[in-house]
Amino acid sequence: MKSKWIYSLVIFLFFQWNYSQEKKDDFCLRFNIKYENETLVQNKKYVSKSKDTLQLETFRFYVSNIKLILKDNSEISEENSYHLIDLEDPNTQKISFSKKPNIEIKKIVFSLGIDSTASVSGALSGDLDPTKGMYWAWQSGYINFKIEGNSSSCKTRNNAFQFHVGGYLKPNYAIRTIELEPLNSNFVINVDLAEWFNQIKLSETNSIMIPGLKAMDLADKAKSMFSISEF
Amino acid sequence: MKSKFTFMIVIGSVLVFSLAFTFIKPTPLYFQIPKGWPKPNYDFTKNPLTEEGFQLGRQLFYDPILSKDSTISCASCHLQATGFTHVDHSLSHGIEGKIGTRNSMTMMNLAWSKTFMWDGGVNHLDVQPLNPITSPAEMNETLANVVQKLQKSDQYKSLFFAAFGDENITGQRILKALSQFELLLVSSNSKYDKVIRKEAVFTDQEQNGYQLFKNNCASCHTEPLFTNGNYENNGIPIDTTLNDIGRQRITEKSEDYLKFKVPTLRNIQFTNPYMHDGRFKKLTEVIKHYNSIGNGKNLPKQLQKSMNLTDNERVDLVAFLLTLTDNEFLFNKRFSYPR
Repeated sequence: MKSKWIYSLVIFLFFQWNYSQEKKDDFCLRFNIKYENETLVQNKKYVSKSKDTLQLETFRFYVSNIKLILKDNSEISEENSYHLIDLEDPNTQKISFSKKPNIEIKKIVFSLGIDSTASVSGALSGDLDPTKGMYWAWQSGYINFKIEGNSSSCKTRNNAFQFHVGGYLKPNYAIRTIELEPLNSNFVINVDLAEWFNQIKLSETNSIMIPGLKAMDLADKAKSMFSISEF
Repeated sequence: MKSKFTFMIVIGSVLVFSLAFTFIKPTPLYFQIPKGWPKPNYDFTKNPLTEEGFQLGRQLFYDPILSKDSTISCASCHLQATGFTHVDHSLSHGIEGKIGTRNSMTMMNLAWSKTFMWDGGVNHLDVQPLNPITSPAEMNETLANVVQKLQKSDQYKSLFFAAFGDENITGQRILKALSQFELLLVSSNSKYDKVIRKEAVFTDQEQNGYQLFKNNCASCHTEPLFTNGNYENNGIPIDTTLNDIGRQRITEKSEDYLKFKVPTLRNIQFTNPYMHDGRFKKLTEVIKHYNSIGNGKNLPKQLQKSMNLTDNERVDLVAFLLTLTDNEFLFNKRFSYPR
């Protein structure tokens, strides 16, 4: 009669094993946060083309409404596609997709930021939970991306620069669409902050914390951070 | 055979045990819309009201744990007996005696509000508490920290379990529970309401005041909520010690300069001082302001002309405004400090 127990245990373990297998096979979008050619290191000194010496303390951004467009023009998307990617947390730099594309991916399309639907829906959960520090208090809406650190070029308290870029309402809509075309199935999405810092002068622009023209300009400049390369 | 029997018993009790949890469900609450009132703006399907959710929200509302040094609760500036505002304080004080820049708002009939705060910067009731919690002059705390503090409390673990089915404490759940408490703060049983429902009658003086109200005030302070939910410049000059530009800060449009939310007039007898910066201590001062308003720039067309009421008419208008006092609301034990 012991066999019944063993039998149940085997079935149980089989399902466990099956489940973990499935997890492993998930399709993943990997993000590699970089400064020029190397992986970005928090608080390491970098120099931009605008001759600013800078150190990054915080870099977080939302990737949302991800769509994979396949070679046959079919699309794979996910429900509630909202992901917060955080420099400090490597686990967030990998987005696993439950649906695995069985043919080649032609294009990856996603938004940098959070759409207006989620911005007007009150308290949300997971990566959209306001505890993540990416929701504005005095003026509702998500911060699409946050870049904080310091640079000797900033004549501010502690030489700090702070960029909280967001805005879901027109005319200050700061969400940007990113489109990338992978060369083969083994790819990684690069997010190169040098591309962004090269376009600004920290002595002039060092604190943008509200939606508006300046925020939209910084959002435009953020588009060039994204590129794709072989893994 | 014995082990087969044991096997069945174990499986059976596991099933019964798991069933037990399905029966511990929060008690649903029904949101009653007062007769003749418009449809609420809040989407209750996204946050279904339950007795346990309401009680959790009430507990949080009265708990100073929301502030950085555990000294200030929501109720510090929103007292029930005065329509959930800070009586006698033109500007409210937060932690370490820091003073804010605006008069604390009343809290009632919030399910009908589309936007929140004096400048309308907040687009949903759920996310309003982020303002006082994170404001350096109010609670100076982060929601993430509040979650951490609550997770250490066994009492809160069981309250969250009762309200949401498990002990998980998240920012979303804190905000949803606070909303549940706030949504049920409905004031609809003033003398005015009873007169409308034909359960009471106005005195002649109140009736005359009601007529004056309808002619002079109702275009902005629309019945039955006594606000149209809009933002207007009401003609009071800017306080140069605060330089609060109002709604323009949010919209960045020059036409929104000095516009503030049209507040409800319900329970106005006890919500003093008045205006966004609490500059008027008495209701008679407010009426005097509208009675002699100049031809200021930017004024809405409803205020282009002064009211020019006689002394007696002004007394009658105040008499009507006092019929908006709802003692059942102000002294409802369900809304008071949880004991």
